[in-house]
Amino acid sequence: MKFCVCIKQVPDVTAPIQVRDGALVMDAGRVVLNAYDASAVEAALVLTEQHGGEVEVVLVGPERATETIRKALAMGAHRGTHLVVDEGTPLDSHAVSALLARHFEGAGCDVILTGKQAQDTDAGLAGGMLAERLGLPYATNAVGLALEGDTVVVTRQGDTGQEVIALPTPCLVTCSNDMNDPRIPNLRGVMQAKSKPLASERVAEVPAPRVRVLGYEPLPQRAPGVRLDGEPAEQAAEVVRRLAEEARVI
Amino acid sequence: MPTILSYVAVQNGKPTRSSLEALSRAREVARARGADLAAAVLAPDAAAHADELGRYGAATVYAVSDPIFRSHLNTPVLAGLEAVIARAQPEAVVFPSTEGVKDVLGALAVRTAAAVLPDVARFEVAGDGAVEALRPVMAAKFLARVRAEGKPVLVSVRAGSYEASEAPAEARVEAVPFAFDEGSLRQTLREVVSSAAGAVDLSDARVVVAAGRGVKDAEGKRLVEELAGVLGAAIGASRAVVESGMFPATAQIGQTGKVVSPDLYVGVGISGAIQHVAGMANSRVIVAVNQNPDAPIFDVATYGIVGDLYKVLPPLIEAIKQRKGTS
Ligand SMILES: Cc1cc2nc3c(=O)[nH]c(=O)nc-3n(C[C@H](O)[C@H](O)[C@H](O)COP(=O)(O)OP(=O)(O)OC[C@H]3O[C@@H](n4cnc5c(N)ncnc54)[C@H](O)[C@@H]3O)c2cc1C
Ligand SMILES: Nc1ncnc2c1ncn2[C@@H]1O[C@H](COP(=O)(O)O)[C@@H](O)[C@H]1O
Repeated sequence: MKFCVCIKQVPDVTAPIQVRDGALVMDAGRVVLNAYDASAVEAALVLTEQHGGEVEVVLVGPERATETIRKALAMGAHRGTHLVVDEGTPLDSHAVSALLARHFEGAGCDVILTGKQAQDTDAGLAGGMLAERLGLPYATNAVGLALEGDTVVVTRQGDTGQEVIALPTPCLVTCSNDMNDPRIPNLRGVMQAKSKPLASERVAEVPAPRVRVLGYEPLPQRAPGVRLDGEPAEQAAEVVRRLAEEARVI
Repeated sequence: MPTILSYVAVQNGKPTRSSLEALSRAREVARARGADLAAAVLAPDAAAHADELGRYGAATVYAVSDPIFRSHLNTPVLAGLEAVIARAQPEAVVFPSTEGVKDVLGALAVRTAAAVLPDVARFEVAGDGAVEALRPVMAAKFLARVRAEGKPVLVSVRAGSYEASEAPAEARVEAVPFAFDEGSLRQTLREVVSSAAGAVDLSDARVVVAAGRGVKDAEGKRLVEELAGVLGAAIGASRAVVESGMFPATAQIGQTGKVVSPDLYVGVGISGAIQHVAGMANSRVIVAVNQNPDAPIFDVATYGIVGDLYKVLPPLIEAIKQRKGTS
């Protein structure tokens, strides 16, 4: 089986971030492999370890995003493709999925994996868009993934429970980080990654994004709360009184 | 006259609360634009929901009825929505941001050549028909003001962003012919594992009690369940206790999990990591029980109780029972 995993380099959302003049200001050096994509890579590695096959990772991003591909290679992916765009090129799920679809046309992937969403924008669209562009059956928000011969069995987290869905190959699955705990690359993996094949292709024409970001603003703050002190019984009595008389929710 | 279409998700035979919120917002937008409000329902007997949707102001209900909609599967939902959009030719389609909707939104946008704004906290249809919205980004630390143009524009609304409000209209039902060829389904639904039969969707709950890693054992879990019981609450959880297997993934609140916006959220032994807060910061009243006075959950709590949950929950449960007169 050939697994193709779409990975995105995202800003570290736990780093200090500010809004200045409607723009987000953060340390451009603090970037990570999107957590959901790390889970997708992990799932592909586990399945190829069990059933054989190969894992290719594909990333759309500027030159410096190569380090994120190396990270996936260090985890154990076999090869990488970097679709290079200029630094600061506006991209959205629409544009990215169009570029990825062009890349996957005829690439012979049996299973395409994406994250369920990018950790920075939480759009959660590129996977479904890519599946539709390629005409593939797909499942989203996978918390479990298994192979039964050529059939891909996905456990997806739905609204009130989990759905177990069987898909033929080729197909596409978007992955939740609830699926697994991605491995941390060890030194050997990091060394090996340096000599793994990494194809770099400059994107000639980036499709125009359909979503325009007009600006950023801080989230409105919640009104400051109160701390309730004392012994547990006193705290309990006080919070219940306030919930009933002040907040009127019980 | 232009049409604003609102998709209504049905669970356990009823439109979800988040669907009625989205429909109510769609009605306000339609009214401001002088547009018609239509609702789309995909269900085994979709027309049965028309009266209720009329109460929320839908003038037309596009009913796609098929037994296949008893369980969620993306292929038929996509086909059904594509058929309704082709018929209604809406300017904008408003969705509740449920897992079922997230499953189809990207593919639907490509199929209908639509622009799409997912998971918004606010939206507006501008004079030129473009949709402008505020979306939480960066684990909901910031709001991005975004704009999309197209016909249609798809927009999905986070639970709790708007109030559901009635404004009765006479709903006309339009049955949308739907013949789904099951042979063309390239996916098989093998099984649906529900966490609890007929359980309320957490996103629809008015009161939520959520457990975190501070809940360490069966005794802690029992206390959480008892607290939820006396409050009539749905039980939520942090990722830590979903990972450990103590609570089902369906209960997870946050960036990976669900967005909840109940009247009352009680977090027990939860630190308040940004990825968790991303899913509950919009709750009206937040109570936090945590033994660490510096836990970030206290930054968003309306009422903070610094203390050991094993010592705080028993008297809290008693006090609520007494207040509610059930002891
Ligand atoms: C991409 C991504 C997505 C994520 N999505 C989610 C998500 O959807 N939902 C989510 O919850 N997390 C999510 N996380 C994980 C998140 O970062 C935290 O790891 C998680 O929320 C921690 O859960 P917790 O608060 O239960 O555990 P901890 O952070 O370990 O906190 C436990 C708390 O319990 C308190 N405590 C311990 N014992 C007691 C006691 N006896 N009495 C009272 N208090 C006690 C401690 O003081 C502590 O504050 C995500 C992370 C990533 C990277
Ligand atoms: N620039 C990118 N390069 C490669 N894959 C991407 C990129 N952006 C998004 N993806 C994939 O699409 C998924 C969903 O992204 P999004 O629609 O942006 O939330 C991500 O988890 C990735 O797997």
